[in-house]
Amino acid sequence: MSLSSALAASPVPAALRRLFLDRAAEFWLGRLAPAHSLIERRARVALVLAETRDVKTFVLEPSRWPGHVAGQYVPVTVEIDGRRHTRCYSITTRTTPAGAPRIAIAVARVPGGKVSNFLHDHVHAGAIVTLGDPAGDFVLPDPTPPQIALIAGGSGVTPILALARELRHRNSALDLAIVHAARDDAAAAFATELAALADAPGARLVAHRGPLTVDALRAAIPDLARRAIYTCGPAGMMDVVSEAAAGAPVLRERFVATAPRAAAGPQPKARVYLTQARRTVALDGDGTLLEQLERAGERPAHGCRMGICNTCACTARGATRDLATGAASGEPDRTIHLCTSVAAGDDLELSL
Amino acid sequence: MIPTLSPTELAAFGAELDAIRARVVADLGQRDVDHIRSMIKLVHYSEVGGRALLHLGIGPFTFALGTSLLAASKILENMEVGHNVMHGQYEWTGDPRLTGRYEWDNTCTGDDWRHSHNVLHHTYTNILGKDRDIGYSFLRVNPAQRWRPSHVVQPLTALLLATLFQWGVGLHDLELAETLRGGGSFATLRRRARGFVRKAAWQLGKDYAFYPLLAGANAPRVFAGNLIANLARNVWAFAIIFCGHFPEGVSVFRDDPHETRGAWYLRQLVGSANIEGSRAFHIASGHLSHQIEHHLFPELPASRYPEIAVEVRAICARYGLPYHTGSLGAQLGSVAKQIVRNSLPS
Repeated sequence: MSLSSALAASPVPAALRRLFLDRAAEFWLGRLAPAHSLIERRARVALVLAETRDVKTFVLEPSRWPGHVAGQYVPVTVEIDGRRHTRCYSITTRTTPAGAPRIAIAVARVPGGKVSNFLHDHVHAGAIVTLGDPAGDFVLPDPTPPQIALIAGGSGVTPILALARELRHRNSALDLAIVHAARDDAAAAFATELAALADAPGARLVAHRGPLTVDALRAAIPDLARRAIYTCGPAGMMDVVSEAAAGAPVLRERFVATAPRAAAGPQPKARVYLTQARRTVALDGDGTLLEQLERAGERPAHGCRMGICNTCACTARGATRDLATGAASGEPDRTIHLCTSVAAGDDLELSL
Repeated sequence: MIPTLSPTELAAFGAELDAIRARVVADLGQRDVDHIRSMIKLVHYSEVGGRALLHLGIGPFTFALGTSLLAASKILENMEVGHNVMHGQYEWTGDPRLTGRYEWDNTCTGDDWRHSHNVLHHTYTNILGKDRDIGYSFLRVNPAQRWRPSHVVQPLTALLLATLFQWGVGLHDLELAETLRGGGSFATLRRRARGFVRKAAWQLGKDYAFYPLLAGANAPRVFAGNLIANLARNVWAFAIIFCGHFPEGVSVFRDDPHETRGAWYLRQLVGSANIEGSRAFHIASGHLSHQIEHHLFPELPASRYPEIAVEVRAICARYGLPYHTGSLGAQLGSVAKQIVRNSLPS
């Protein structure tokens, strides 16, 4: 993403805006008001709250917040040792309008996770982070369904909390059952608040400790299949919910490992989604990504074809391996050179 | 005299340089991005300071200081920031302000530069007939180039190019000299020139209309200050860049479609020349004083070149390869000699 492409279209030609207005204005804005930027959405960390040993809430003051719907997540970008890393975190605040002054996210520390550990250890009140656009369809419909089941497991409680807060705010006549599964009491983040939210006519909370079983869930919510079901948690737990629902639709929020592991062995035949062209291309797994794309009929910009001129640089999601260094990476939104990269996973997204 | 290594030696030589690259890439981090950001900070602060002194000051002292600050800002922006960021040296940071799509404060469009420099010059470095930077298509800097009568006046045209260097750079990708010699159609030239014409118009308007008008009564000194600052940047950039490939002893090559990686490294090494100097000098030159290291590793942050140079010199010593370097005076003198000597047929 270049400086100019991040700003709305303007009548002044792109190269000129890039040179003069954007760069100088952006620089001085960054010096004088670091929480603001012309080219990205920055947020100041107003407050950090430790919910449990492994979960922290970060209350953020974003500039130019577009508003969000309860249950959505937001991409959060931080700079760690000079490099930007982006991860998506569920917003725990209920639905906000555009321009809202504060939102909150809850971050669970992931063992070996780069961003979660950085946020926990190095990001305190006053720090600045960059936010993307809120997204996701783990949201409540309008009008509110009359009977709802919210089932949260472990760190999956974060979007469930947002839904529960939103439901409390909507204050409609509601039959709400919340099941909060956690390893133990110490790990049950937001247990007190969920109990308070469930302390209303027509609402109840069942706190479950240990792995959730189909029987335990059916006992907690006997009429599960008749409710609008929302669940978020480990994949195994969400499978339990689907089984207990016996065919009724279940809306699941998946927390996908955003830095997928690279596959070992020969290059897979990857499927590539080109985000600018908006089409998917199937590659044949032979040679560099540049060569494979060309054989698939694409015309990506290229120059030296040996990794030095930067012409074929684009941002990637999904696992690739760099032939020059041999290193594989799945870090989202990193820059790669098509002429020296091969696929290391089955699915790729390229900014072409 | 191009040095020769056996295929095995060449492969080993290439592998050693690849190892340097891999090690530096793995080590890139906060200090590298902090460096380029301090450079960008310097560019903006000295620009504002320089322009403020020109716009609001009275008398020769503020004029001299303002012009100097503005010249320093333009030089730093052109050399250390613009050239290096456009090489994609900071793409790894993911910061949208540091992508290779950077547009510099110069009549040359970023796209034209990326094509003529990153792609053509760095891939075909010093290959006769393919590297258009050899004499910039109109100077004869090496006896291997064919002599033409127009070369007789090249000591003068070179000096003229020095004063107008940003225009030479801006026009470079348009292949003007080749078109005038009958090597291309004017329709193609017109199409190619569109980006340049638009950007050049903006640059002229900015420095010679917008800013002077903004200054009201101080318009003449702002105009003069901008002109002198641009001139200083042109001459400095010309000097540094001409020392990069034109001193005596630097080799030119014939195209070899079967060039191995080791041979590519060797061509970059003996096709380039360094300039000795202080740390401040290296920064002011955008680290093009380390032209050799830049040509070996164009995608690595230039601030790493001084530490890499220590290892490269050691490798050259071990393989018995030349390492062209000298003081600014010595290298410039050598370039001047080449331009004068090659103005006449050999």
